[in-house]
Amino acid sequence: MATVDLLFAALFNAAVLFLVTAGLQLIFGVQRIVNLTAGSLYALGAYFGASVFEWFSAQGGSPALLLPVLILSGLLAGQVGFVIERVLRTVYGRDEAFQLLMTFAFVLMFQDVLRYVWGAQPRLLGDLPSVYGTLAVGGFTFPVYNLLVMLSALVVAGLLYWLIERTSLGHVVRATAENGRMAEALGANTRRINTLVFVLGSMLGTVGGALVIPTTAASLEMPIALIVEAFAVVVIGGLGSIRGAFLGAIIVGVLRALSLTYFPELEVMSIYLVVIVVLVVRPYGLFGKAEA
Amino acid sequence: MDETSGIHRRGVLKGMAGLAATSAVGAFPMPAIAQNAPIKVGIIAPRAGTAAYIGANGLRAVEWTIEKINAAGGIAGRKVELVVEEETNAKETLERARRLVLQEKVDCIQGGYSTGVTLPMAPTLEDMQVLTIFWDGTTQDGVKETMPSPKYVFKSTDNECEAVMASLIALKHLKGQFKRIAAISPDYTYGRNVWTAFKALNKKFGIDAEVVSEQWSSFSQLDFTANVAALKAAKPDLIYCVLGNADLPIFMRAATSAGLTDTARMVLVQAGHQHGQLKKPFTPVGTLLCYNTMYFARPNPSPAQKEFVEYYMDKYKDYPHWESDRAFFAMNVYKAGVEKAMAAKGGSWPKPEEIAQAMEGIKVESFGGPAGMRKDHIAEEMFYGGFATHDNPYDVCTLKDTYSYDASVLQKPPGADFWGWLETANFPV
Repeated sequence: MATVDLLFAALFNAAVLFLVTAGLQLIFGVQRIVNLTAGSLYALGAYFGASVFEWFSAQGGSPALLLPVLILSGLLAGQVGFVIERVLRTVYGRDEAFQLLMTFAFVLMFQDVLRYVWGAQPRLLGDLPSVYGTLAVGGFTFPVYNLLVMLSALVVAGLLYWLIERTSLGHVVRATAENGRMAEALGANTRRINTLVFVLGSMLGTVGGALVIPTTAASLEMPIALIVEAFAVVVIGGLGSIRGAFLGAIIVGVLRALSLTYFPELEVMSIYLVVIVVLVVRPYGLFGKAEA
Repeated sequence: MDETSGIHRRGVLKGMAGLAATSAVGAFPMPAIAQNAPIKVGIIAPRAGTAAYIGANGLRAVEWTIEKINAAGGIAGRKVELVVEEETNAKETLERARRLVLQEKVDCIQGGYSTGVTLPMAPTLEDMQVLTIFWDGTTQDGVKETMPSPKYVFKSTDNECEAVMASLIALKHLKGQFKRIAAISPDYTYGRNVWTAFKALNKKFGIDAEVVSEQWSSFSQLDFTANVAALKAAKPDLIYCVLGNADLPIFMRAATSAGLTDTARMVLVQAGHQHGQLKKPFTPVGTLLCYNTMYFARPNPSPAQKEFVEYYMDKYKDYPHWESDRAFFAMNVYKAGVEKAMAAKGGSWPKPEEIAQAMEGIKVESFGGPAGMRKDHIAEEMFYGGFATHDNPYDVCTLKDTYSYDASVLQKPPGADFWGWLETANFPV
């Protein structure tokens, strides 16, 4: 009994973590930028999703459409990636420290923008997850909304795999990630690819934030809380690897659930202990590539 | 954008500058003794983060209170002006408090939510001889009083009062209904102390309950699915929950949707902090709710509470909570102290130490009922709690029967050790 409940909690946490870190990995994989704004985009998605759904409800929209409305609002909020990428473009090719500082500047600016637009108080969406009810199977009770979020993460993982591995666009993206100059010499519009990838990565973060809002509250603490776990996922899975994000998110989700059950005081330590072990034993992560 | 403060630092400064300028050219000579000048009260309250909701309650209430006081002629004939500063961390807040004293020259400081802020701030304000009345902060290090004999600083009721009340109600009404207990709380001294107090009271009253899980969450934690799974796995009959900010409704939502509330009775020690967010669908009937020093739907409320609750619900579309009471109480204690001290001096304006002395042992009527300030500068107020019912016109729970306790029952006497007092006190169970 306990194992199933714990596994369910771990996988729900992993699903949300995967969505955000997949975006982070995608951007690093192609643009070699550690995008600290991933946490801010996640928070933006949550706030924006809450507002869009409140507006939708005020127009008489059905609560049953919660999930599609939130996904759409997340996709919409992710368009802010266009603006961020336009600014980041000025530091492509410069020292990594410049890029890191610029994304950090965005984190701080986002914090003020979120406070200015939505105020300082955490925002909750009432009891909306219950519109989908619960699923009782063999003595277990699962909130259906949480199952749908997990399913959404699986669909996104599948779509990302298909896009990158099976489409011609994916081939160009991978070529750009491998060697941007060579790809450009062969006719690829790398500038457009960079924009596309950054916006896609941003949308993954904002959709993650929008999907999680019915089970949590949008708050100004969200970016930091998320980034602490997201970086653990990235290090464990390997920087730049989508498969790594998938497995890393599951590892972090399970570790968190287990430590909360058996050693609640050691929740963060248990995760970062594994991070340190990975850094020492396999510095490029489970699916990352060692530097040549 | 925050609508809570109608009076701003810049506005006050401009007003003061204008007054000084007109005085300088002789148009309106300044009075020799500024007895007709407004009384300036510095307010310190959180306006951001998870505590912003609590700060907003206090700020809205203090603005309403001075509006009433000023409409009735002010305090001893002087109008009251507020100068609001934000409560953040201890270091920054202390700097803002200094600014209120040195630059704004406030007559009194009121506010303070977090003991983490008021504990280090109080000695400095005491040294500066600033009359200070905390809404909610104490000067307790854990449960130990660090300033037993202050002259200028007045503190709120002990933090542990509502937790002791939660324990007493649970022991009185749920005895025999729980054998396996669990806790969930942010990992801080208060949470650990009140959980220890609950276990100590269980033992005192002969309840041999097994502790099956202790969940210590991090501050601002926003996902409780794993904690809920851990609690479900432990199969408790009763969960003692010390969450109190935005984390409380998030936890309750996760607990209800996972079926945890079907098998375990919830004791929400700090339900009053977020009762407007505890919607009926995820707050089951029978949940033990503790409302601290103000319960918005109290039967037969005082005229002041009735008027304020109607005003608040109409204006803010929300239900006021105990921080409103604390702000109202602090301002009225100050008013009563000034007027008492002034009467003792035959009508001349009293010094801060004379006002402070007058406030010792003073009684006032707060929103929550009869209240007062002990001789050792610790407030005594009424506390409210009971079991949730959905039988009301609101979207949130109310209490089926309202149980009220005077702080003199819930709070250790002056100078007493909390743990020793718990063992020897004669509780009404």
